[in-house]
Amino acid sequence: MIKRNGYRSLIFITGLILLTTTCSKKPASNISTELLPLEDNPLVCIKFVLNVGSADDPAGKEGLSSLAFRMLSEGGSEEYTYKEISQIFYPIAAYLDMQIEKEMTVFSGIIHKDNLEKYYSVIKNIFLNPGFREEDFIRIKTDHLNFLQKTLVSNMDEQFGKEMLNLMMYTEHPYGHNELGTVKSVKSLTLDDVKNYYENHFVQGNMTIGIAGGYPAEFSKKVISDFSVLPPGKTPERTLPEQQMPEGLHIVIADKNTPATALSLGFPISITKSHPDFFALWIAASHFGEHRQHLSHLFQKIREERGQNYGDYAYIEHFIEGRGKFPATNYCRQQQYFSIWIRPLANSNRHFVLRQTIRELKILIEEGIPEERFELTKKYLVNYTKLYTQTLDERLGWQIDSRYYGYKDFLKEARERIPKIKIEEVNAAIKKYLNYKNLYIAIITQEAESLKEDLVANTPSSITYTNPNMPEEILREDLIIQEFPLDIKPENVITAKAEDFFKETGIPQGNQQNNL
Amino acid sequence: MVKNRGTAFIVLALLSCPLVLWSSDVFPYDTRIEKLENGLTVVSVPLENPHIISYYTIVRSGSRNEIEPGKSGFAHFFEHMMFKGTKNIPREKYDDFLTELGAGTNGYTSDDYTCYFVVFAGRENLEKVVKTEADRFINLYYDEEMLQTEAAVIEGEYYSSVSNPGRRLYETLRHEAFDKHSYKHTTMGYLEDIQDMPNQFEYSKLYKKRFYAPDNSIILVVGDYEHEELIECINKYYGDWEPSNYELKTPVEPPQEKEKRSHYEWPGQTMPRIALAFHGPAFSDEKIDKAALDLLAEIGFSRSSPLYQRLVIEEQKCLALYADFPDRRDPHLLTFNAVVKQKEDLPYVEKEIFNELEHYKNEPVPKNKLEDVKSNIKYIIVRQMGTTDGTAGILAFYINLTTDPHSINKLFDLYQKITPQNIQEMAHKYFSKTKSTVVTLTGGEEQ
Repeated sequence: MIKRNGYRSLIFITGLILLTTTCSKKPASNISTELLPLEDNPLVCIKFVLNVGSADDPAGKEGLSSLAFRMLSEGGSEEYTYKEISQIFYPIAAYLDMQIEKEMTVFSGIIHKDNLEKYYSVIKNIFLNPGFREEDFIRIKTDHLNFLQKTLVSNMDEQFGKEMLNLMMYTEHPYGHNELGTVKSVKSLTLDDVKNYYENHFVQGNMTIGIAGGYPAEFSKKVISDFSVLPPGKTPERTLPEQQMPEGLHIVIADKNTPATALSLGFPISITKSHPDFFALWIAASHFGEHRQHLSHLFQKIREERGQNYGDYAYIEHFIEGRGKFPATNYCRQQQYFSIWIRPLANSNRHFVLRQTIRELKILIEEGIPEERFELTKKYLVNYTKLYTQTLDERLGWQIDSRYYGYKDFLKEARERIPKIKIEEVNAAIKKYLNYKNLYIAIITQEAESLKEDLVANTPSSITYTNPNMPEEILREDLIIQEFPLDIKPENVITAKAEDFFKETGIPQGNQQNNL
Repeated sequence: MVKNRGTAFIVLALLSCPLVLWSSDVFPYDTRIEKLENGLTVVSVPLENPHIISYYTIVRSGSRNEIEPGKSGFAHFFEHMMFKGTKNIPREKYDDFLTELGAGTNGYTSDDYTCYFVVFAGRENLEKVVKTEADRFINLYYDEEMLQTEAAVIEGEYYSSVSNPGRRLYETLRHEAFDKHSYKHTTMGYLEDIQDMPNQFEYSKLYKKRFYAPDNSIILVVGDYEHEELIECINKYYGDWEPSNYELKTPVEPPQEKEKRSHYEWPGQTMPRIALAFHGPAFSDEKIDKAALDLLAEIGFSRSSPLYQRLVIEEQKCLALYADFPDRRDPHLLTFNAVVKQKEDLPYVEKEIFNELEHYKNEPVPKNKLEDVKSNIKYIIVRQMGTTDGTAGILAFYINLTTDPHSINKLFDLYQKITPQNIQEMAHKYFSKTKSTVVTLTGGEEQ
């Protein structure tokens, strides 16, 4: 049974309005702009941001957005084939990246300003007069099918686990499929689908053009003018369904031949960066599981104390690692989720570490952030966020994200707000938005049925160490963890073969008794 | 000793890249070098930018130094141990110091070196960082239990990419291609050696004594600080670090006499892969061999190359095609890699790669293509140097190879001098089928 958390994204809509009112300069154009002129900088970063993504894939055509947009970044223009563009780009080290997410797609490139004119003339033609050649369509479609059928389920378990969690959280929701689609849906896509998608979505009203660096003063006006030949329309406002909260612990186990178990846990949460409570919850998440930092409490308990794996982290929004370990930008969403990422660990300790993770979440919720870590975490965030905007791409990316969520400068706002937040506010946010009883849990492991039996039976799960001299304090805590009860109902556990994922929409109908 | 190259640096709102791109110096910043009495080298690149400082410690020890049997992966393991703190500043205090600083910090290990970095804001924090980093390099402390727990983390790190067939292919290739040299194993090491790390407490002490010493290390600092202040701090905090005077003798790889082949069967679905390698020269900023082959690899196997365009874009036999020729202190492998769509096309792709190499033996590369490559690599390096951290990372890499921060400019000068005839000559010298190693990987049912 599914609970509804009753959230609708009103705050996001406010953010969008701000986006179009504070930054756009629209001389007879519906295109918004984000400009960051830095006259002396020898580089120029250009971003074409579209407020559409895989959530706009039509039912049965999952993966269309991704395929259509990749046909722009890797399909050439009417004037030049992709091969010819590669030849033009190579001497000037130019590129056109495409990143697609649920509700946002970004084309971007960084170019030396000496080559800006040449670069821009090529990408302008790609966007305004795409090549849409059959041979490129076949190549890219085949790549997507190969990725879904082979690479994702067999060659990258960490990513596979995160994608599984997404499937579980967003059943019957526009977010509920991989950006590349499913094997079945991708096979059904045609070049006409791509052309129609482009016609309908690559339009002025969906577009923000961002330019940063040492570009000439008239350049931005020229770009806006050039792109104003696009249809002026806009994709109808996306109304997302309510997010589905699990009731109890819902588990999907992908079975494959592997020496290591991958774990991802999470549930939707009702706030995004737009919400004032985000900052307090951010402090909590940073303390509990800051991405790839020793600050992370989970990292300390699972890796540093027990040597179980390479790292253990927690997030309050969809997280993609960018340069270094900093968050990548332009993955904005109306709806977000809380998640915990436990990196692969020996199969023998999988049950123990799952117990430990949920127990640590329980302790966080019941006891709050420890006072001695509170001020430290705040200082960390204030200082660490200063490193987020070192490149042109990062500065422009954060500027775009700030507008999306309704801020002039989100990071500046964070550095002003965080020092003023009280520990009571953080603990209240933890209790309000996080829980440990209702979780989606994605597991990739071998002998899935055996794990299911152990989980459902609450079998005690002792841990094995290579270190024969573990500290007494840890061994005492282990005795508690190995008995920590998890209330897992057999009907809430699905096991399925790894290779059966991503064939069709949703969770493979493996050996389950009920749907989620 | 202070060397001042006298190249004026450019003050920009964001950390600048060189405005005059076609100067011979791709690295245009004012670089100063000092050497302490204990042998510690300091490379200082003061810049004016928004308050960021990148503080790197380069230890010239990587998996190349793992010359004893059973010790593969130890350089990487020891990198982890370097985060265990000291009696003065225990691990928890060290972590809290960096946390409060909001520093971007980590370490990484390569074949030839191990690098530790702290990237932070605010020049007022410089002395604290120097003091803390010096303390852990001089006074590192851990007991056997701490080592045993960390050894398990390494096994966990191994598991993080255990599902990656590319890694397994690369491990197999190196194992096959090298007989004697420690490049035979990857930085991660063999699983059996990783699993024996809990028993290596005593060896870890020996490893530190040999390699974690000032005469085997370089401090590199890039960013917003005063050079004199930095040198004063380094003298103050690193002066007591004892040199090791240890001389590593890496085994010499004997010439390969006949072609080697190997196959790895992946236990699951995967795209078929092939790696085709030749023993190449070591890095040099003076001899043309490596530089000429670098350019050949770009001309022949980059995205704009004729073979890539044919196999990936036109015939669509391959998902990916690329060359890999890392700069290393000792001779390493020049590898041509392909991810192939159908298993039955593996022999065809292998043949086409060999044919392409034969072509470069028989015909000089077109001059305009050579100029395109030279242009491409210069623009790429300019882009990568857009931040203090990017600049420090690039410089750290070249410093590890020669200890000379000017190596990067010497290398790019060398690239400028390479002719089509040089490339043809190197193709003849290095591409012989009897000196090749071919490894293939397939798995699962073909769709």
